[in-house]
Amino acid sequence: MKRLILMSLVIVALASPASAQSPEDLANDISQKVMSPFCPGVTLHDCPSQSALDMRDRIEGFARSGMSEAAIMERLETEYGEAIRAEPSSEGAGIVAWLLPALVALAGGALAVTLVRRWSARRAKPIAGEPSRVATSAAERQRLDAELGRLRGES
Amino acid sequence: MRSLAGLGRPSLLVALVFSLLAVAAFIAASRTGRRDLSEAGKRALYATFGFTALATISLITALLAHDFSLGYVANYTSRSLSVPYTISSLWGGMEGSLLFWTSLLTGFSALAIAKAPARNSRLVGAAGAVLMGIAAFFLFMVAFPGNPFAQVAGDVPVDGNGLNPLLQSPGMVIHPPLLYTGFVGFSIPFAFAIGALFTKRLDDSWFTATRQWTLFAWTALSIGIVLGGAWAYTELGWGGYWAWDPVENASFMPWLTATAFLHSVVIQEKRRMLKVWNVTLIVLTYGLAVFGTFLTRSGLLSSIHTFSEGPIGKYFLPFLALLLVGGLGMVAYRLDSLRSENRLDSLISRESAFIANNVLFLAAAFTVLWGTIYPIVAEISSGIRLSVGPPFFNTIFTPIGLAIIGLTGIGPLISWRRMSKGSFWRMVKVPLVAGGVTVVALGLGGLSSPGALLSFSLCAFTAAAIIGEFIRGSRVYRRRDNVGLLTALNRTIARNRRRYGGYIVHLGVLLIVIGFAGNAFKVERRADMSPGDTLDVAAYTLTYEGMRTAGTSEKDIFEATIAVNRGDDDLGSMRPQRNLHLAQGQWQSEVAIRTNPIEDLYVVVTGFDTDQSAVIRTFVNPLTWWIWMGAAVMLAGMLVVMSGRIPVAVAAATKAPAKREPAVAQ
Repeated sequence: MKRLILMSLVIVALASPASAQSPEDLANDISQKVMSPFCPGVTLHDCPSQSALDMRDRIEGFARSGMSEAAIMERLETEYGEAIRAEPSSEGAGIVAWLLPALVALAGGALAVTLVRRWSARRAKPIAGEPSRVATSAAERQRLDAELGRLRGES
Repeated sequence: MRSLAGLGRPSLLVALVFSLLAVAAFIAASRTGRRDLSEAGKRALYATFGFTALATISLITALLAHDFSLGYVANYTSRSLSVPYTISSLWGGMEGSLLFWTSLLTGFSALAIAKAPARNSRLVGAAGAVLMGIAAFFLFMVAFPGNPFAQVAGDVPVDGNGLNPLLQSPGMVIHPPLLYTGFVGFSIPFAFAIGALFTKRLDDSWFTATRQWTLFAWTALSIGIVLGGAWAYTELGWGGYWAWDPVENASFMPWLTATAFLHSVVIQEKRRMLKVWNVTLIVLTYGLAVFGTFLTRSGLLSSIHTFSEGPIGKYFLPFLALLLVGGLGMVAYRLDSLRSENRLDSLISRESAFIANNVLFLAAAFTVLWGTIYPIVAEISSGIRLSVGPPFFNTIFTPIGLAIIGLTGIGPLISWRRMSKGSFWRMVKVPLVAGGVTVVALGLGGLSSPGALLSFSLCAFTAAAIIGEFIRGSRVYRRRDNVGLLTALNRTIARNRRRYGGYIVHLGVLLIVIGFAGNAFKVERRADMSPGDTLDVAAYTLTYEGMRTAGTSEKDIFEATIAVNRGDDDLGSMRPQRNLHLAQGQWQSEVAIRTNPIEDLYVVVTGFDTDQSAVIRTFVNPLTWWIWMGAAVMLAGMLVVMSGRIPVAVAAATKAPAKREPAVAQ
C-alpha cells in the first residue's frame, strides 16, 4: 500500500508535458493566452471572426521567424496594451487579481479550521450538571469501532 | 395568427398593481396571522400571475403574427424564421427575456404559495410578500424601461432583422429557459429564508417547505449550464465548450453557492448546525442569480453573449444592493436566534468534510466573481485596463476543483459525529489503491501530464469510494432477501433516494471531470486547402474534396466535403458548412463532429474562396463525449434525489435532544 502511494507520487512528480512545440502549436498556445480585440470577453483562440484568424496567422508568422513566446507576448502588448493579456500580470495592479482569491481561500480555510476546533473543543469539555462520560478502555474502544464499522458497512 | 400585442402593456400594468396589493396583504397577514388577509394575498398573487401570463402570451402572438409594429418583434424575428425559433426569440432580447423571467417568477410563486403548508401561515405570508416584492420590481422593469411592447419608431418595416444566427440552434431553444428556470427557482427558497428571518421561525421549516424547489432550480441550472456548453461546442466553432465568458460565469456563480447550500443544509437537517451559514448561502445564491441577470442584460460587461444593451442597469444595481444588504442585514439582526443547537464531536467527521466542501465552493464562487468584475474594479480604481480570461480561472480553479473531487470521495467514507483514525484508514484503503493503481497504470502507459494524472487518479479514488457505498448497501439486501445484484442495488437506492441519488450525481460529476481532463491532450490544426489536399491531425488524415453550394429563403449554404481516414480505415465523409444568413448579412459556421467515447473529430470551415479553396480548422478532442454523458448521469441522479422524501427516522432524530442521538455511523 505504502509502496503504491509512493510510486504514484513519484510518477506524478516526474511527469511533465511534452515541451517541443511547432510554430502552429505555439501560435495555438499563445492565442489562448491573449484576448481577442475583435470579440469582447473572449480569447483570440475562441473568437470566430476573420480578423481574429488573421491575427492568429500573424502570431504563427512570428513563431516561424523564431520569436519566443515571451517575445511574441511582449510585441502584442506593445501593440494592443496590457489588456491583450488574458491573465493579469503578477505585478502592479494585476497582482491584486491573483492575491485576493488566494487570501480569501486561505482566510476561509483558517476560519473553518478555527471554528471546527472551537466547536469540537467545547463539546469535549464536561458540561455542568451533565453526567460524566463512562470511561472506556482501549479494548472497548477498538470493539466499538469494529461494531460501528460493521454497522456502517451494512447500512 | 392575430397579434394580441394591444393587451400586453395594460396586462403588465394591472399585474403590477396586483403584485403591490399582494405585498400589502401578505405583510399584513404575516404580522397579524389573519387567514383572510393571507387568502387575499394569494388571490392577488394568482391575479398577478394571470395578467403576467396574458402579457407573455400577447408577445408570443405578436412574434408569431410578425407584428413588426413592435420594435421587439422587428428587432428579433423575420418572416423566414421557423416557428420554434420565432417563439424562442421571446428570450432572444433583453425586453422579452425580462418578461419571460417575470412570468416564470409569478408562476413559480403561485405554485409555491399554493402548495405551502397552511400551518405556516405567518412564514408563508412573509415569503409571499418577498416574492411579490421581487415580482413588482420586474413588472416595473418590463412595463417601463424594458417594455417589449414599445412601438417601432417611424414606418412599420415589411420584414424584421431576424434572430441572431448563433441563437438559431436547438440548444438555444432550451438553454436560456433552463438557466432562467434555475435563476428564478432560487427565488422560492430565498423568499422563504427571508420570511423565516422576518417571522423568527428559524427552525427547519423554511428549507423543508422549499426543498423540492431548491433541487429543481439547481437541476435546471446545472442542465442549462451544460446545454450552454454543448451549444458553444456545436455552434461557435472554436472546438471548446467553456470560455469563462462573463455570461457563462454569471450562471456558474449561483450554481457554486447553491451546490454549497445543498450540501451544508444536510448538516442543519441532521445536526441542527450551520443555520446562519445556510441562510447566508441562499441569500448569496439568489443575489448572484440576480447579479447574473444584471450582468447579462445591463451591458455592464460586453461579451459575445450580451446581445443587447439597455437602460436597465441603473435600476438593477439598487435592487441587487437591497436584496444583499437587506438579506444579510436580516441574518445579522437574527444572529442570536440562528445559533447552532449542537457542536462538533470530532475533527474527523462528515460534518468537517461538509464544512471543507463549503469553504472550497465559496472560494471557487469568489474566484469567479472576482475574476469577472476585476477588470471593472481595476479600471475604476486605477484607470488601468486589463483582462481576466481563461488562464487566470484555470490556474486558480484547477486545484480547487481537484480538492473538491477528493473531498467528494472522502465525504461518504467518514461517519457523522466522529470516527476513529483506524476506521477511517480501513474505509479509505480500497479507494486509495484504486487511485494509486490508476496513476501507475497511466504513467507506465505513457501519460505525461501531471494535471491529467492527478485528475484521473482522484476520479478513480472517488469512484471507488462511491461504488463501495453501493456495494456495502446492496450486500445487506443480497444476504437478507437472497436476491441478485441488480435487485439489491435497486432496493438500496429506493430505500434512501436522497443519499444514493446524490452519489449518482457525484458519479456524473466524475465523468464530466474525466471529459475536462481529456482537454489536456487536445490537438488542433488549421490549413488552407484546395480540393485534393490532405491534412494530418493526430491519427486522422483528412482529404478536402470540394465545396457544394445550396440556398434556402434564410441562408446561402456552402458545404465542404471532407473524406476522413484513420490509418487504412475509411471513416466516411464529414460536411461542415459556412453559411451566409441573408436577413442579418452574417456568416456563420456549422461544425461537423464525429464523436465517440474516446475522442471527437471536430471540423469547421472558417473561410473559403471562389476557386474552391477553403480554410479548414480541425480539432481532435479526447474524452469530450464523457462530459455530455456525465451530465445525463447527473440528471438521472437528481431525478432519484427529487423522488425521495426525508426518512422519518432522520426527521425524528433531528427533533431529539443532541445527547440522545444514537451514535450511528451514517
